[in-house]
Amino acid sequence: MKLLRKLPPEARLLLPAFVVILVVVAVPLLFSLYTSFTSYRLVRPETIWNVVWFKNYIKLFGSSDFWWAFGRTVLFLTVVLNLEMLFGLALALLVNQVTRGQRMLRTIMMFPMMFSPVLVGFQFKFMFNDNIGIVNHILQNWFGVTQAIPWLVESHLAFFSLACAEIWNSTAVFAILLLAGLMAMPQDPLEAARVDGCTPWQAFRHVTLPFLMPFVYIAMTIRSLDVGRAFDIVKIMTNGGPAGRTELIWTLSARAGYEDARMGYANAMSYVAVLLSIAFTVHFFRKLNASRQFLNEVDA
Amino acid sequence: MKNQPFVASLTLLSTLAATLVMPAAWAGPYDGYTLRVKLIGGEQYEPLYSVIPEWEKKTGAKVQIVSSKSHFELDRELKQDIASGKIDYCLFSNHTNFAAQYVTITRDLKPLVPADFVSKFSPRVIQQSTIKGKLLEIPRHSDISELYYNKKAYDDPANKAAYKAKFGKDLAPPQTWDEVAQQAKFFAKPPNFYGTQFAGKDEAITGRFYEMLVANGGQLFDKNFKPTFNSPAGVKSLNWFVDLYKSGAVPKGAPNYVWDDLGNGFASGTVALDLDWGGWASFFNDPKSSKIAGNVGIVRAPKGSSGKRTGWSGSHSFSITQSCDNPKAAADFLMFITGFDAQMLEARRGLMPTRLDAQQAALAEFKAKNETYLTEVFNTFAAGMREDSFTPPLIPEWVEVSNSIWPELQKAIVGDKTSKQALDDAAKKVEALMDDAGYYK
Repeated sequence: MKLLRKLPPEARLLLPAFVVILVVVAVPLLFSLYTSFTSYRLVRPETIWNVVWFKNYIKLFGSSDFWWAFGRTVLFLTVVLNLEMLFGLALALLVNQVTRGQRMLRTIMMFPMMFSPVLVGFQFKFMFNDNIGIVNHILQNWFGVTQAIPWLVESHLAFFSLACAEIWNSTAVFAILLLAGLMAMPQDPLEAARVDGCTPWQAFRHVTLPFLMPFVYIAMTIRSLDVGRAFDIVKIMTNGGPAGRTELIWTLSARAGYEDARMGYANAMSYVAVLLSIAFTVHFFRKLNASRQFLNEVDA
Repeated sequence: MKNQPFVASLTLLSTLAATLVMPAAWAGPYDGYTLRVKLIGGEQYEPLYSVIPEWEKKTGAKVQIVSSKSHFELDRELKQDIASGKIDYCLFSNHTNFAAQYVTITRDLKPLVPADFVSKFSPRVIQQSTIKGKLLEIPRHSDISELYYNKKAYDDPANKAAYKAKFGKDLAPPQTWDEVAQQAKFFAKPPNFYGTQFAGKDEAITGRFYEMLVANGGQLFDKNFKPTFNSPAGVKSLNWFVDLYKSGAVPKGAPNYVWDDLGNGFASGTVALDLDWGGWASFFNDPKSSKIAGNVGIVRAPKGSSGKRTGWSGSHSFSITQSCDNPKAAADFLMFITGFDAQMLEARRGLMPTRLDAQQAALAEFKAKNETYLTEVFNTFAAGMREDSFTPPLIPEWVEVSNSIWPELQKAIVGDKTSKQALDDAAKKVEALMDDAGYYK
């Protein structure tokens, strides 16, 4: 109590929040970090005390399966984020042009977000089924395709199919945030650009887009965390296969942790995935600050 | 009519006495006890649970279902329960393939379940439920796969004539895996019709490969648990899948297929032959779910080059936990839901009972009702269970072993590696994990 009294009042007020964060966030994080240095197996609880130091990490870094999954996760993040940004921007610009029924369009636009990723995974899995799926059915019956296209098997097509499901599910996040940016945008600079004789493309490129960039980077940050832990859709549609062609870090980690019960090894893998997400977040925050600084300089 | 007041008084008195005295006499042996259970859920399995109120009425106990999930989800949950040491339930749904993982939390049922009850079950299934001399589970129903075929394809005169002209033999359901491959290629007209199909991922493809390996005279491990599946028999077995995939006799999506995809694919009428579980039999013959209802044939699983038939098998079952506070009540419940009446309830829905008396009674019922399809299905599956069934090694590492094998099998099937390379790589992974688990000390 004496120690508490010595603390400044603002620290005393913040203390409960620090305690809650410590219990809810820090303890589980530290616990999982500790287990990543053990040979912990779920079905043999006593192994939690068997410290193996960096053995799990050494094994992980020596595994080609892990590095393939790591590279694929980075590629998946890059492709999905950029495409979602482009589609979201296009949607936001189109909806922003609409003067009547915009509210209804905004609601419809958000429908995919309301579906659980598990359900989206099942929907796309059945749509892309090579034998009884609707995509091949349409291609074969309406467009004269004579082959069954292996959407979930051939490596590029499987990557494309997973990206489609992920993009369909979450493009609305970009669209809504960018639409909010467009609606908040002052009209004076645009009108000044028109008076100066700018083409619509030039006005978009040099006025609208710089103003939207902070919104783009906020959306990128949020979605990079989501896509970085992409699991449900991939688990349902391909479970990382076939032959590891769609394996991402989290499908590999979940299999090691919950099916093989090798929780120590899985936690080591998870920490690498978390570091990857942090790297993306730091990158986007830097971009966000740079774009805000640019806007401030323009205003000044 | 003079006696009317007397009769009325007597009735009133008897009712009062019954109200006051009878509850004590009616109270069941486990009155007031709550039995907590974790059960497998799903449309196929839940009708059995409709008998639970009968047991509650008989014993005075209550059954509280604390979890109802698919087997794979339940497996993950049980592992987490073991890790956290929180086993606050008495009975759980188990499976032959998973049981060895739960040895530390499972009770030996021999002291709890009378031997004459156990003797009603198929001896082979009881043997498969016993690990290191301990009876860890009482089987509820068994699964083994047999070969379903599309009679439309086999009865088509054009197909018959073409097959005879090409191979000099009459077209008939295949008896060997070589014949399956030959006929599958003969029937295949992708993308509209396929000769056969296989489950291509997860434990499903490991199991399919494993049973093919055994049929071809191979084994997964030697007696010291060193992997031996990368043998010539292993390569021959894997080549069977590779060859059919490359030739287009199976759907291109097969490496991503599991049981639902196979069931729906065969029911869609676009596949000639389908090695599949007994639980699908009614689905395939139901016009509401199948385009080939009325045209489904069934034969024993084919033989491999060693003359053995394919027979990877397992049983859905129930186990009692070590921490159970009332093992007698749990055993009573277990015997109730694996008893004759309960098994008949499932048998009438097409699931293969594990009790021999239920198998015979179900068959007699089907014959009496002239249900020739279900009679054929039950005869075929009963023969398979009796003569061909075998389980994966009953070791706690089985799931992990399987997870090391199937991605490599896929690599061979989709052409990323040769069969020998893929099996050698899988064998290295399996050997490393068995070494880690302490098998070679």
